[in-house]
Amino acid sequence: MAAAMLVVTLLHAAPGLGVPAPAFMRAGASASNTPKSVVAQDLAGKAVNPFDAATGKPVVFIFVRTDCPISNRYAPTIKALSQKYAGAAEMMLVYPDKAETSANIKKHLQEYGYKIAALQDPQHALVKLGRVEITPEVAVFNGKRELIYHGRIDNWYKEFGQARSAPTTHELDDAIQAALNSNHPAPASVSGVGCYISDLR
Amino acid sequence: MSRLGLNSPRIIGVGRCAVLAASFWSVNSWGLGPDAPTAKVTFNRDIAPIVYHYCAACHRPGEAGPFPLLTYQDVKSHGRQIMAVTHTRFMPPWPPEPGTLKYADERRLSDQQIATIKAWVDQGMLEGKASDLPPRPKFVEGWQLGQPDLILKAEKPYTLPASGGDQYWNFILPVPINETKWVRAVEIRPGDKRLVHHANMLVDRNQSARHMEKDPGSGFGGMEVRIESEVFDPDSHFLFWKPGTVATSEPDGMALRLDKGTDLVLNAHLQPSGKPEAIQPSVGLYFTDKPATVHPMLLEMQNDGALDIPAGAKDFVVTDEFKLPIDVDLMGIYPHAHYLGKDILATAELPDGTTKTLIHIKRWDLNWQAVYRYAEPVSLPKGTTITMRYSYDNSEDNTANPNHPPARVQGGNRSTDEMAHLWLQVLPKSASPDAGDPRMVLQEAWARHEVEKAPSIFEAHYNLAEMLQRRGALDEAIVQFQAAASIRPNDPVANNALGGALLAQGDVEGAVQRFQSSIAAQPDYFDAHYNLGNALASQENFQGAAEQFGDAVRLNPEDASAQANLGTALAQLGRLTEAKSHYEAALRIDPSNQLARENLLQLEQMLRENPH
Repeated sequence: MAAAMLVVTLLHAAPGLGVPAPAFMRAGASASNTPKSVVAQDLAGKAVNPFDAATGKPVVFIFVRTDCPISNRYAPTIKALSQKYAGAAEMMLVYPDKAETSANIKKHLQEYGYKIAALQDPQHALVKLGRVEITPEVAVFNGKRELIYHGRIDNWYKEFGQARSAPTTHELDDAIQAALNSNHPAPASVSGVGCYISDLR
Repeated sequence: MSRLGLNSPRIIGVGRCAVLAASFWSVNSWGLGPDAPTAKVTFNRDIAPIVYHYCAACHRPGEAGPFPLLTYQDVKSHGRQIMAVTHTRFMPPWPPEPGTLKYADERRLSDQQIATIKAWVDQGMLEGKASDLPPRPKFVEGWQLGQPDLILKAEKPYTLPASGGDQYWNFILPVPINETKWVRAVEIRPGDKRLVHHANMLVDRNQSARHMEKDPGSGFGGMEVRIESEVFDPDSHFLFWKPGTVATSEPDGMALRLDKGTDLVLNAHLQPSGKPEAIQPSVGLYFTDKPATVHPMLLEMQNDGALDIPAGAKDFVVTDEFKLPIDVDLMGIYPHAHYLGKDILATAELPDGTTKTLIHIKRWDLNWQAVYRYAEPVSLPKGTTITMRYSYDNSEDNTANPNHPPARVQGGNRSTDEMAHLWLQVLPKSASPDAGDPRMVLQEAWARHEVEKAPSIFEAHYNLAEMLQRRGALDEAIVQFQAAASIRPNDPVANNALGGALLAQGDVEGAVQRFQSSIAAQPDYFDAHYNLGNALASQENFQGAAEQFGDAVRLNPEDASAQANLGTALAQLGRLTEAKSHYEAALRIDPSNQLARENLLQLEQMLRENPH
């Protein structure tokens, strides 16, 4: 059951090849899902293992699209959390749209004032690993690279077009706390509201 | 089975999915003919016509939609999202329930269209045959009605912050015209359309909103704007923009009047995008040389006074009822509540006992408030009772509730207050050619209704008094002005108006006192100085009158009547040379001022007979 090696191929290596969609690993226990070696792609097109830089720190993938209005509205929240946990956890934006160019992503990062790492995930290896379905959703791994939370950032949106004036739960923040301190329980997984990643296959 | 479960959008319960899928197949087999069960739904044949008609007007570059929906790839890359948002009817935004009265430009998907979209996504979003693809819709670029005759642009942009809740910003757009113009169409370009949820424009004939600006041209915040008017000049047109609005020309004879010195105030509802954005709206005006011959009127029903919603209340109801004193044609309707609004209903019960639903919104969403115009005017005869019935949800169940935990909310103008308003654009019909302006009959009935509903509200008494005075019912007008002034004893406008009514009735003493109170409350109030001057002159106190007219002229040197009256007061005091210069000033401003001309001739005669 263990996913021994999930490889995110280069953007141009397998353009739209009919790779059979692997079954989503919704049912697996998190421990069996521990990534030993994962390769994503940086904005220069270079393969990178996002866990290498973390050196034992928790890793947070935040899945976004340049054209998803809800993930865009989360930019200030994402930036605030990345500042709050700077040095303590590695937070990275993950762009799962294989049609997106790195130039457009760089423009997006600049427009929204992001100062955190950004990765491309054209083959959805990180999507599968993090068991996410929506932008914006997040996947939080503890220092042992165990997936301890996946799902929404908070409960700001209840449905499309139904946003609270401010969120009243803060799942991502709680999950990072749990990743940093094993005495802190991880929140239950709750789906986000936004754009379906499966539309990008 | 497990794949099916995974592919279902999580926003829709599995049980409901199953029901919807079942209804799709039955609909499809009726809709697509005998070979339907084998035909797969394709983008080119089945989806493109829906998307082109209902989505593309906003979902294209430069418009309100956050991403374009013009090609197969565009639509496919948001396919399940489209399925989810059409299923909940969040998109395309069309909140009113379908009813017997039709609105212009209805943008509402049928159940069958929604089922077709779901089937397309479930079947794997097939593209289909290229020959099935209809031509792309053509849209007019730039100004929709051609180059406007006059373009107004907000002087300074407003910078919308990256985060936070909804913002409301008011831009003041002075209209640089030197003479009265008739406007056949107004096109509102609210700035970046992705950020503006809706915009409402008000005609401010007295530049009354300007004083809210900290710096001239910078605009000011606030969800509701109050436009003050001291004369009977009711609002007549909805000037409203929402995503997808296409500017249209009013029919001949329904033009909007704009005078020199008028401001347009654009109230824009903005939603932060995640990054700071500059918003700088512009407005295009299209003139006509055909003045208005028919005069619509915006009738405002409301019951803010009854809004005192306890924390946790799920179904708090307020109502207002108004019986039409004359026949009207209803042209459009604009319901308005804030974040707690839940179920919005307006009905008309006709004298024959039949009832028409004017609008019913079962899931009110402030973000998608809009003006709705009827496809055909709705004829409502005299004696029709219009009822608004709004319910409010102040519980945790209401996602939009601004208070967490819920708190008591009362009526008011701030976005955290609540409102219960319903504007109706009506075309009042005259009972007979000599019955006068039917708008006044309607306005007086409305004002009387307001006084009965809310006897402690200043504006109710003031507005009724104004209507009574205009038709010469002076005694009753004085009673209402007195009621207004007793609610706000220091209100300069009410005291001045009451003074004016007393003066007209011959109570000079009483009038003088009221004008003095008005000036004490607002020393730079031109009208009160002018009126006090007249009252003192009628008591032959020309010294006092000259002082008051002098103050009036200092406040507004361009007022011909004040200049002429100052001339007369000075002449009475024997200060003929000074008097002459003020008569001359009056005639320079207004060469047709008969009084100034006659008095000047007489004065010149006196100067010749009695030179110094």
